[in-house]
Amino acid sequence: MSTLEGRKRLQLLGLLSPATFVIGLFFIAPLVIMATYSMLEPGLYGGVEWNFYPDNFGRVLGWADGTLEEFDPVYLEIILRSFKLAAITVFLTLLVCYPAAFWVARQPEKMRNFCMFLITLPFFTSLIIRLYAWVLILRPSGFINTTLLALGINTPINLIYTETAVLIGMTYIFIPFMFMPVYASVEKLDRRLLEASADLGASRWQSFWKIIFPMTLPGVAAGSIIVFIPSLGNFIVPSLLGGAQVLMIGSLVEQQFLAARNWPFGAALAMLLMVAVLICLILNVLAQNRNKAGVS
Amino acid sequence: MNSLLARLGRGLLGGYSLAFFIFLYLPIALIVVYSFNSNPINMMIWNGASLDWYRSLFGLSNSLGSSKMYVESSDQLLAALRTSLTIALSTTAISTVAGTFMALALARYRFRLQGFYRVLMFMPMLMPDIVLGIALLIFFVGIGMPLGKASIIIGHCTFLISYVFLVVSARLAGMDTRLEEASADLGASPMHTFRRITLPLILPGVIGGALLAFIISMDDLVITYFISGVDSTTLPVYIYGMIRRGIKPEINAIATLLLIASFIIAAVGLYLRSRQPATTKEDTHG
Repeated sequence: MSTLEGRKRLQLLGLLSPATFVIGLFFIAPLVIMATYSMLEPGLYGGVEWNFYPDNFGRVLGWADGTLEEFDPVYLEIILRSFKLAAITVFLTLLVCYPAAFWVARQPEKMRNFCMFLITLPFFTSLIIRLYAWVLILRPSGFINTTLLALGINTPINLIYTETAVLIGMTYIFIPFMFMPVYASVEKLDRRLLEASADLGASRWQSFWKIIFPMTLPGVAAGSIIVFIPSLGNFIVPSLLGGAQVLMIGSLVEQQFLAARNWPFGAALAMLLMVAVLICLILNVLAQNRNKAGVS
Repeated sequence: MNSLLARLGRGLLGGYSLAFFIFLYLPIALIVVYSFNSNPINMMIWNGASLDWYRSLFGLSNSLGSSKMYVESSDQLLAALRTSLTIALSTTAISTVAGTFMALALARYRFRLQGFYRVLMFMPMLMPDIVLGIALLIFFVGIGMPLGKASIIIGHCTFLISYVFLVVSARLAGMDTRLEEASADLGASPMHTFRRITLPLILPGVIGGALLAFIISMDDLVITYFISGVDSTTLPVYIYGMIRRGIKPEINAIATLLLIASFIIAAVGLYLRSRQPATTKEDTHG
């Protein structure tokens, strides 16, 4: 019996070790080192000095007194803008996906499967190419302005390198992320509840806000969180569609690592991003738990 | 009156959904159309169809004569494609094995760290790309490992193991454990049970996870961007660089070829998934 136990234990060890090794050594350890770096003094040529140096965070959050680093509100501004753009992206993806999810859910099975295929497909196609499409559309001599010109309107509109362009790009690439969870909760809706609500004299408007919307809320919450997190830390969309005009936290981090070569400061910015994401996740879990408690 | 209103509402919803699908596909369609436009001066103005940009991608002569084409060299492009494939195949192999093992461990064994592992396996997926990218950059530079294919493969594995784990776990959760118990009761060794019962049943999940890992690895830009070296430019990083240097018609041709490739992979993957329930039934009866 003990040999059987021992053999089982050995099997378990064998199953656990590959992933533990990779994730422990190349995920956990790098994050710990990054956290350490964020509190070290930047060296002269892109390296670090092993001294405790809280001003990496102070430059952003306001306690750098000017002896070593200046507090510059521009960083807070960029962080706030990232939050704002990520929140608007969540709202826009929801606005685009929510009604479409209802329509798809009502289709006959074949049509429904085809729609799901069409919505999943972009997820499999290259992200950079989907963003490139919007560069083609929005740039000064792009699709929109060429079309306007062809229609006889000779006032080109400046779209690329604006917050609007960044929002369009992020909404476009994150649509499948929002659609899937929202659709899953719409599909599960019990039609009898709607009938009951109509029988009891509720208007369509009332039925929607009192019955349907609350029941799809878990899907909306899940979609919101998986759109919000990658939007907040994005740097590809701002770099292609926002240019130097619309910087986000991700763009700042990239600059510190590849251009300014101030790695500790870049690490500090990344830490702030990570903390923000963690807070969002914790809030999400708490809200879910409260929801469950409310139901039971 | 009420039914008229309802019909109007349904019509509006239908129109909205049509607009939704147009929004989803018009940008992609534009790239494909423009990739065949022969106009070398303004690619937005249709000037007749041609395959010039495709020819120039592969270094062939075209109707523009001997004028130097825009692509730096088709060798670079093919080298980037080769690098991407090498990395994606290695990554897929490693993360499929590690992710499947982890899923089996958590679904079929009871042990103390189970809760910890469940949280741990979710973390790489929730971490913003850029944070993981720079953490790996600091790490590799810190331990003195040169940046190149190996560093990219390691970097991709850290988060793709989680994706495979998730897909295989979902498959394991929907599986009938009595089959494994029956096999054990009938005297099959654990290895035999695994090979003849467990593996065939979870195989669609494993293949699905591997396909997902392959696609994400081929497409990853952010993490690769930070940890690739001079000689290890992948396809997405190469295209990103091209776009940043300026829009050229060849990019449309590359993009169209890539779109076709990913459509085929996706169609095969989704087709396999839609067939899953049927195969499972056959397996259990056979």
